[in-house]
Amino acid sequence: MEPANRAFDGHTVAVPGGRMLEAPGRPALLRSAAVLLLKALNVAALLLLVLIFAMPFVWMLSTSLKTLPETMIFPPEWIPRNPVWSNYASAWQTGPFLHYITNSAVISVSILLLQMLTIIPAAYAFARYRFVGSGFLFSLVMVTLMIPTQLIFLPVYLELSAFKLLNTHLGLILPFASSAFGIFLLRQAFRQIPEELVEASRLDQAKEWKIIVRIMVPMVKPVLVTFALFSFIAHWNDYFWPLVMTTNETARTLPIGIAKIREVEGGGTWNILMAGNVILVAPILAAFFLAQKHIIKAFVYNGVK
Amino acid sequence: MTVWERLRPYSMVAPAIIVFAMFFIYPIFYMMYLSLFDWNFVSPTKTFVGIQNFVDLLSEPDFRKVLSNTTLYTVLTVTLTTGLSLFMAIWLNRSGFFYGLVQGAIFSPHIISLVSISLLWSWLMDPEYGLLNWVIGLFGFGKLEWLSHPSTSLISLVIVAVWKGLGYNTLVFIAGLQSIPQDIYEAASLDRSRPWTTFTRLILPMLSPTIFFLVIINLIGSFQVFETIAIMTQGGPVNSTNTLVYYIYEAGFRFFKIGYASAAGVILLFIVGILTIVYFRLLSSRVHYR
Amino acid sequence: MAQIELIGICKKYKEETVIQDLNLTIRDGSFTVLVGPSGCGKSTTLRMVAGLERQTAGDILIDGQRVNDTPPGLRDVAMVFQNYALYPTMTVRGNIEFGLKNRGVSRKERERLISDISEIVGLGPYLDKKPQNLSGGQRQRVALARAMVKQPKVFILDEPLSNLDAKLRNQMRTELIQLHERLGTTFVYVTHDQVEAMSMGDEIVVMNEGAVQQADSPMKLYEQPANLFTAQFIGTPAMNIMKVGDIKGLRVQPESGAYHVGFRPEHAQINPDTPVEGLVLEGDILTRESLGAEHIYQIRSKAGAFFVKTFLKPLVTAERVRIAVPHGHLYYFSLNGSRVETSGGANEKTPSRQLIAGGV
Repeated sequence: MEPANRAFDGHTVAVPGGRMLEAPGRPALLRSAAVLLLKALNVAALLLLVLIFAMPFVWMLSTSLKTLPETMIFPPEWIPRNPVWSNYASAWQTGPFLHYITNSAVISVSILLLQMLTIIPAAYAFARYRFVGSGFLFSLVMVTLMIPTQLIFLPVYLELSAFKLLNTHLGLILPFASSAFGIFLLRQAFRQIPEELVEASRLDQAKEWKIIVRIMVPMVKPVLVTFALFSFIAHWNDYFWPLVMTTNETARTLPIGIAKIREVEGGGTWNILMAGNVILVAPILAAFFLAQKHIIKAFVYNGVK
Repeated sequence: MTVWERLRPYSMVAPAIIVFAMFFIYPIFYMMYLSLFDWNFVSPTKTFVGIQNFVDLLSEPDFRKVLSNTTLYTVLTVTLTTGLSLFMAIWLNRSGFFYGLVQGAIFSPHIISLVSISLLWSWLMDPEYGLLNWVIGLFGFGKLEWLSHPSTSLISLVIVAVWKGLGYNTLVFIAGLQSIPQDIYEAASLDRSRPWTTFTRLILPMLSPTIFFLVIINLIGSFQVFETIAIMTQGGPVNSTNTLVYYIYEAGFRFFKIGYASAAGVILLFIVGILTIVYFRLLSSRVHYR
Repeated sequence: MAQIELIGICKKYKEETVIQDLNLTIRDGSFTVLVGPSGCGKSTTLRMVAGLERQTAGDILIDGQRVNDTPPGLRDVAMVFQNYALYPTMTVRGNIEFGLKNRGVSRKERERLISDISEIVGLGPYLDKKPQNLSGGQRQRVALARAMVKQPKVFILDEPLSNLDAKLRNQMRTELIQLHERLGTTFVYVTHDQVEAMSMGDEIVVMNEGAVQQADSPMKLYEQPANLFTAQFIGTPAMNIMKVGDIKGLRVQPESGAYHVGFRPEHAQINPDTPVEGLVLEGDILTRESLGAEHIYQIRSKAGAFFVKTFLKPLVTAERVRIAVPHGHLYYFSLNGSRVETSGGANEKTPSRQLIAGGV
């Protein structure tokens, strides 16, 4: 009950039909017991919620340390008595995992670097310059923002195949060398910088490139970090694009490797599969625990702006 | 203005625009073009067939099944995700260590690879040894076949999608709630607004841009679902989970019916395009409260 | 040190004309204040001098040189912005140094200049802080230091005090005046606050609707307003203006074209003991504002409501009062607002020596 409410009520007792918000004389003990019960229920519900989201991951970890027969025992043993670490070795041996990880890293990092190189100048130009055709070019960016890659993989596949770029790192990097989302996000940020700052630096005799590099880009650093997290995680996790654009191991990435364990080991070996899954999930979850605030911001930003 | 000053903006947007033109804009037109041909990718000649691919598609019972699957999956996922997350946002919109922990926990699936989530839930939903069957057994229910039975496979995929998307949606809603100025609640409480009235007359209308954004994002996302299907069901059993993108993928990469797959792609493009236009239309006509 | 000349300046934004044929000379070493209501074109004028905006037509000369095509960085002009426009990603030192670096000043020289300047404005202890961690007054000093360190020919200040609280503003006003005396550089200062203009400038340019209304020293502006606008803009409360025709018995030479008559609230006498030659009005006191040393009355007469200000006199409690303004303090304006001289006024030679007008 808000104090404001009560104060207000005190002044309006004369209003016909004015309802007292608190029943006078009701035993205070009973009320506090009800509040306590509600609080307990709330905590219980919150715990249940955490359980629903955390349990699958715990189960994954638990399974990854069991022998195959142990995975079929119910009621389940959450902490295996003799953890089978060799599951990880088995998972690792189903494919060239070092190669996959290198590919994943090379591709995600290259995409990120190229994106930075292309989105910063583009966003700056869209935010700060007026030029003939800027409206049309920006609408092109907005159209791209709304086109999911799932929609156009077939023609891009044919295009990359014509360029002989299938099964190459470049084929997985180039289509993402720029980001409409990044340009959109960054353009907003550049627009919010007061014009006075640019004028002050003009009076300070700074050249245009120097204004951009020394003044403007440092000011949008938080947005750049946000976008970098978003981009890196998205491409590290990507399964669809590498699956569609590769036919051999040359450029395949970690998610493909993990998904392939099932083909190598057979469908029922959940302990090995979950061990592989932990390899894929652990770095991202670890990063999430370390930089939870930033990562959540990176993704939720999208929805608020 | 010097020539260079005139050219500078163009040179700055050029790299990005070239990438978009090559890998997003051009492919769309190329796909439209291909949809009018019969081509198996290997043969050197493409045969022009007009709208025959579209006619074939729409008369193909499998494709109609795919469309209805996609629609059902989308409607269920979007309504469940948006509705539940709005409820959760109002519940969890509090600060404090514990609430931060809960928010983090429900958000975590959003940054996990769909490969991991698909594998993990395949295991959880295993009809013989899955944890899920054991849990519902504790409450006295019999075993379900989950992904392995046509009557439950699609809803199982919906459950996975909701589980993955719930946290993200909730946090976006929370951000939306927090952007509503606090004094509006105070004014409402001084006006003796009941919680329900405050919710329907104030909070919901002020959240409408957020609701709108999430519904559209979820719609577009659900229409192009692929990973969970490719890994968990491969469209089965008996086509009960075959959806548009997976269908295009199979038509193109398994049966090499490029023109046919392109035609299906054009239909998907059409759907996404309409959604996008509706989004921007409503966005511009909609009252903004901020 | 430089004289600034604006010759036939026009400024248009698309179809809208902001400034029309502006001619103005800003004396070398003067503290010139551009003052006027918002939207009068004073900031635009300033920005054209700085080179941040380009005039549509006309010439700008600094130190006798045409600078129409000179970029802002090369005009030898320094500017203090309303919101300071400090670079938030740089320290105080970085902010002051940035312009010097861009001019290729050597490292040793830069260090000397910075230590000199931070001594003058008292920023020594804050050189390695970021602007976000400074108070409003300190930020103001950084902005000043950044402008001063370049030793420009012209200082341009765009409402630099408007973000400070009243006390700090007064203090900075004094400091700026002292700074101007010390440097002897031309200062061009923009404000919408006439009190600030009167107290700081040695030359005031009153602007309205894109045109200069009057450019004069503060006292001349007050004593000899060139037109209705200046008359009403300078002074608090503003000059009282009435229509000549509304005041019974006030006769003016018809050929003078006088349409309005005005007097300053502080020149009116309430219930004068001795007869006053001039305008006499009778009316009811509507409100009394007492500020201690001075009182401001709002009075309603038949000719309209007006203000009267008295100094160091007891508060008048009567409801109904008689007001007199001596001839020497009456100003006449034509229908289009320009000041006209008229020997007229009340019938000077009448024996009563008084004129009752507007009374009941």
